[in-house]
Amino acid sequence: MALRELVNKIVPIKEDFSIKSLLGFKKTPLNVLVSFMIVGLILLLVWGLAEYLMHGHHAYNVSREHPWGLLISGYIFFVGTSTGLCIIASLGHVFGIKEFNHIGKRTTLLAIITLLPGFIIILAEIGHPITMMIYNILTPGITSAIWWMGTLYGLVLTFIILEFGFALRGDHKWAVRLGIGGLIADVAAFTTLGSVFAYLVARPIANGPFIPLYFLLTAVVAGAFFMFMIYGFKHKLDFPKEVEVTLVKLAKILGLLLVVTMFFEWWRFITAVYGGMPERADTMMRIIGTSSFWIEMLFAWAIPFVIILVSKGKAIKALFFAAIPALISIFLMRNDMVHYAQMAPMQMLKKTEYQLAPTWIEYSPSPVEWAIAVGALGVCFLLYYVAEKAFDLDEEDHH
Amino acid sequence: MARYGMALDYKNCINCKACETACKEENGILMGADKHRIWVGTGEIEGQYPLLDISSNAFYPSQCQQCDEAPCEAVCPTQATYYDENGVVRVNPDQCILCSYCMNACPYDARYVEERGMTIDKCNFCSDTRLARGETTTACQNTCPTKVRIFGDLDDPNSEISEVLRTREHYSLKAHLGTKPKLFYLT
Repeated sequence: MALRELVNKIVPIKEDFSIKSLLGFKKTPLNVLVSFMIVGLILLLVWGLAEYLMHGHHAYNVSREHPWGLLISGYIFFVGTSTGLCIIASLGHVFGIKEFNHIGKRTTLLAIITLLPGFIIILAEIGHPITMMIYNILTPGITSAIWWMGTLYGLVLTFIILEFGFALRGDHKWAVRLGIGGLIADVAAFTTLGSVFAYLVARPIANGPFIPLYFLLTAVVAGAFFMFMIYGFKHKLDFPKEVEVTLVKLAKILGLLLVVTMFFEWWRFITAVYGGMPERADTMMRIIGTSSFWIEMLFAWAIPFVIILVSKGKAIKALFFAAIPALISIFLMRNDMVHYAQMAPMQMLKKTEYQLAPTWIEYSPSPVEWAIAVGALGVCFLLYYVAEKAFDLDEEDHH
Repeated sequence: MARYGMALDYKNCINCKACETACKEENGILMGADKHRIWVGTGEIEGQYPLLDISSNAFYPSQCQQCDEAPCEAVCPTQATYYDENGVVRVNPDQCILCSYCMNACPYDARYVEERGMTIDKCNFCSDTRLARGETTTACQNTCPTKVRIFGDLDDPNSEISEVLRTREHYSLKAHLGTKPKLFYLT
């Protein structure tokens, strides 16, 4: 048991934590279903990664005109949700909203376990990840948003893992200090990820301050839905009083953010269409003609907002059921955002002998892309399950 | 040190594609429709007989615009894209991580994935090949039967390109983006 003692010296783990305890869950139909789902997702990820290792980018449906696909959007989905969770985790200890104190530790863990699948996905997207690690340091491109984003996310992961470790040890002073560092780095990192698109002068639909701000807002929205999903499963919709108070408060914050985001979207639409500027107005008109845009509007914004408005935030069970389709819609929304930025062709005159004259660029993810982006969710759930068994994630109010 | 640019007397282009072939041959570019450093854009004849719009049937040879303010260079996270001593925008394949950001940032669709090394490639005015051997022309220019392309040093007032740009009207593609292209279309 030397290893256990060593780990215990760094962070306290539960007495009864063992492989036996991991496999010894109650074999209810729901539990068995969830465990099969996790294994299935991980197998999907392993298959996707194996295909990628054998065929490289040929396994993806990305092209010269559309170089970024579902893996970029999967990455944005996971790291964005992580940023949202990091912000929600800091509401208690950093911003002093005491109803959120007791969820700090668990939410920080959720931020870590959503960030890691994002990193797995991006490693499968970057063509030469080892070269990246070397030349990010040797020849940093400091005018590049991708360089800043990658570097900041490295910092974020360091901060939140240390924060979680100190929180487990009960060292709240250091946990809060690191939490502040993590929060600042995380907000900077995710808005910088937005700027990757916002800096593109060649893409009028993406260029400008909208996307970084939109990323920040939708990160917290995604984080809040993730919280409803996890807490709903954890308590099987029978919420203790303390959790209920927190979730009602979170629902109200979520309601406000949904209104603000819809307001943003509205003005983005009007300013893009007004004046009919090529590559912006026509792209926007095409966006609102797609079914996925309306799926996103309905499931990620309208339905949750109506639930919150009608119940004044109290219908947290309904929000649990709304959270799952909302998260799926947000996943599609990230994919749409990446696609919309690349939809308008850059060269209006191409070689008609070799290829069709360019109209709108089409993109549909390959099975391997789906396998990696969706399979990464299995890693997220598996890590959560292991952490739940290994660590004491609920904290008492120490204030 | 030079500052290389190219003027295109594009109205002389007959769309014979000798330039594309010469480029692929000289620089070892793989076959395939989406693997090309240079291309000839084709405007098809519009309208219905007998009112055919023959002015729309023009050919526009194009390639990397060798921007002075290249968006692809600014966005590269590892400085794999760089300006060489002659102002040519080039890619160091050893440093390229294939993040594809430059492909998205280029307003001219001038970059593509070179599938042998899985890195990004683009026109570099034959810097690796002809210029490295001490020649003073590019493959596309050398082969052109109607002498569409004029390649040379923009800093040398006596070069042919400088003289042509002094004496003939010209424009650049998407100049409003502030990219300062060094490809000039002669009108």
